[in-house]
Amino acid sequence: MSEFLLYLINGIVIGVINAISAIGVSLIVGIMKVVNFAHGELFIFAGYFSYHLSQSLGLPPLVAMFVAVGLTFLVGLLMEWTLIRPTYGDDMRSLIITFILSIVLQNAALLIFGPYPLKPPALIGGATNLFGLFYYGNQRLISFFISLAVLFLIFYLLKRTWFGKAIRAISQDRQMASMIGIDHWKMNTFSFGLGAALAGVAGVIVAPIFPVTPSGSAAISLTAFVIVVLGGMGSLKGCIIGGLLLGLIENLGAAYISTMYRNIFAFIILILVLVIRPWGLFGQKA
Amino acid sequence: MEKQKLSVLVLAVVFGGMALFPPFLLSQYWLHVMIISLFYVMMASSWNLIAGYTGQVSFAHAAFAGIGAYASGILSVFFGLSPWLGIPIGSAVSALLGLAVGYLCIRMGGIYLSLTTLGFSEILRIIITNEDNWTRGTMGLQVPGLFAEYSKTSYYYLFLVVAILVLILLYRLIHSDLGLSFRAVLNDETAASSSGINTVRIRIIAFTISSAIAGLAGGLYGHYVMLISPDVPSLGQMFLVLAMAVIGGMGSFAGPIIGAFLLEILSEYIRIYGEYHVLFYGLVALTITRFAPDGLMAVAGKFSGKKRVGVETL
Amino acid sequence: MSHNNNPHFENSPILLKGEKVSKLFGGLVAVKEVDFHILQGEIVGLIGPNGAGKTTLFNLIGGLFHPSTGAIRFEGADITALKPVQICHKGIARTYQIVRPFLKMNCLENVLIGIIGRPQREKSKKKEEEEASEFLRFVGLGGKERVMSADLTLIDKKRLEMARALACGPRLLLLDEVMAGLNPTEINQALELVEIIRGQFKITLFWIEHVMGAIMKASNRIIVLDQGQKIMEGSPERVVADPRVIEAYLGENHAYGKGN
Repeated sequence: MSEFLLYLINGIVIGVINAISAIGVSLIVGIMKVVNFAHGELFIFAGYFSYHLSQSLGLPPLVAMFVAVGLTFLVGLLMEWTLIRPTYGDDMRSLIITFILSIVLQNAALLIFGPYPLKPPALIGGATNLFGLFYYGNQRLISFFISLAVLFLIFYLLKRTWFGKAIRAISQDRQMASMIGIDHWKMNTFSFGLGAALAGVAGVIVAPIFPVTPSGSAAISLTAFVIVVLGGMGSLKGCIIGGLLLGLIENLGAAYISTMYRNIFAFIILILVLVIRPWGLFGQKA
Repeated sequence: MEKQKLSVLVLAVVFGGMALFPPFLLSQYWLHVMIISLFYVMMASSWNLIAGYTGQVSFAHAAFAGIGAYASGILSVFFGLSPWLGIPIGSAVSALLGLAVGYLCIRMGGIYLSLTTLGFSEILRIIITNEDNWTRGTMGLQVPGLFAEYSKTSYYYLFLVVAILVLILLYRLIHSDLGLSFRAVLNDETAASSSGINTVRIRIIAFTISSAIAGLAGGLYGHYVMLISPDVPSLGQMFLVLAMAVIGGMGSFAGPIIGAFLLEILSEYIRIYGEYHVLFYGLVALTITRFAPDGLMAVAGKFSGKKRVGVETL
Repeated sequence: MSHNNNPHFENSPILLKGEKVSKLFGGLVAVKEVDFHILQGEIVGLIGPNGAGKTTLFNLIGGLFHPSTGAIRFEGADITALKPVQICHKGIARTYQIVRPFLKMNCLENVLIGIIGRPQREKSKKKEEEEASEFLRFVGLGGKERVMSADLTLIDKKRLEMARALACGPRLLLLDEVMAGLNPTEINQALELVEIIRGQFKITLFWIEHVMGAIMKASNRIIVLDQGQKIMEGSPERVVADPRVIEAYLGENHAYGKGN
């Protein structure tokens, strides 16, 4: 029983973190209709930034995390402005360009940061006794709560602030939004930056638990895509529920069905959803 | 001379030259490079059929090559079937799976199709890696060659002949009514559909043919290097094929061919310094997609000042 | 060039019929229970202020999307749920409000698509290309076979779209604001073309237009939509004078009834 609980909790913890990552993708897809293949690379770049900021510059871990996310946000802005913007409207071209970018960044990461897995320092050490059944890492617990906080923040941002309303307006009806004065060029750039930043947030939260490597970025992107598709493009709660579902399925599936095929569950879900119900659990039927 | 006929002539000269050029003048090393280039010519040209001509950016192309390779490989290793039979069978298997994937994706727009093919590709790679009873997993499956006596020259001619046949097939296809329909679907699927073109059928046909060719190329490749590994159906290979088509020029006939030769040959030079060719090609492809999306062929066209005269896409 | 000389249509069969066609997009009612019919040989105009649902109706007929409720019949057969390619094969072709030829193909290829798309083809490639050339000549694009459609002027693009639609061999042609953006000379040329299409090809026309003078001159009958509903239908003279129609257009800058 305690084993099951362990897998369950693992699934939930990674689930909410992945949900944040997925929202980063969903935001960009919703506003710009662009699938950011370079998402995973931004994720690991943030992890690497976080590592080096704390190791090489000696910044306290929490500060390093914030700065790393900030840097990732800037990188996102730069990416949009130089590469994505000119492809706006041409779906095929923007798809190809973000795919190529992803490969370039992957290889660049290998060159710049090296092939070895790196772990930024944990915020908190030790473990807590959960339910009197087993000890669970404190870093993981903290990550869970930080993620929840981030999700609440995003929720607040989207539902209460003007910016959030603008985002929702654009993703529902671009023409309408521009008619009421929303500058969609600036929105695009900012949203891309935000999407990148969210990838970064997920990255800095995960990095102290699972070290970053350049080869892990593709899996991260794909996980985010699966969650977005499963939850439904453009749906915030879809990302959260999708993230949790995927986390649970992967952890429980790996434990009880097959460890070797752990990574296949995501893809099977992806294809099933796309074929049977492409708009996902909570998305809008096109 | 009309631009189209000129390009065909140039290609004919190049391939004719390759056929007549005595292979023994090249070192074994460069013969190998040529053979691999021909493999990529087939891969890039067939990917261009779906991406450049019908606008479906599939990430499953390398996977189809892998299916052809592994199908043929497994048949030869475990069932003693000659690769000369195995390779066509592998190609047929790829074609069937291509048909299935194409059918699965018909109702999907660009992004969804790309994601589905991506998922498919990864599922395949995972299965191949794990089912090592059949595939020997990451160690790779050792398979017999195509000739009793190993001879790079023989492989050279084999690849050359098949590549030429494939290109002729693709050329005839693109210049047929079907090819015109492909391009209509690429331009404007709704208008094509309202003009009586069965766009679903078109996309599926394109997918099937393109994956058949990928399967064929994969099978040939497998029995040439005689070791088939999960590297073949990998996204890394997929990227190379994509880069070749993009850099050479998607939507043009000669573009992928040029891209394949260029990138493969260049990578040999870059390898001297280290495994930087992927990064380099990525940067080049990025620049091209950003500034000259129709690739080198379009850039060359601009320099020679020729105006595009329509039926060709060459 | 008045066609209100009323060639009698009472004995013509009904070519296209819409029965209580409605279309909802989420909460928005784009088309509300519209009944309409087109008799063979007619030119029927479809007018209404912006947002009245005219193009939506065309899209419903053309199969781009399907009615939420109601049915559409063509030559007696139910075409409500058919896809665009099937609708074309049944004999309905269309042009678009924002002209959309195949930009990366030349004029000949554009028209060839219409020919290739036909359900039955017996001719050789050479004959088909000749036929395509004929269509181009017919719409006034003779000699421009190899010109890329992207390089054409607006009116030529419209001609090309017309040629492509004709090449499908339709019995009903849906024209969506062909006159938009044309100067008076071009409008007259277009009107002539339309009449020849009706007379020579014996094609029935259903036609959305904002250029009132043109559509009033050419049409046998006008259907008026406003906010998704049919508010009136009848001969051009009656429509122009109808108070409901006038009211619907108040606030729209139209010099209708005065030519342009």
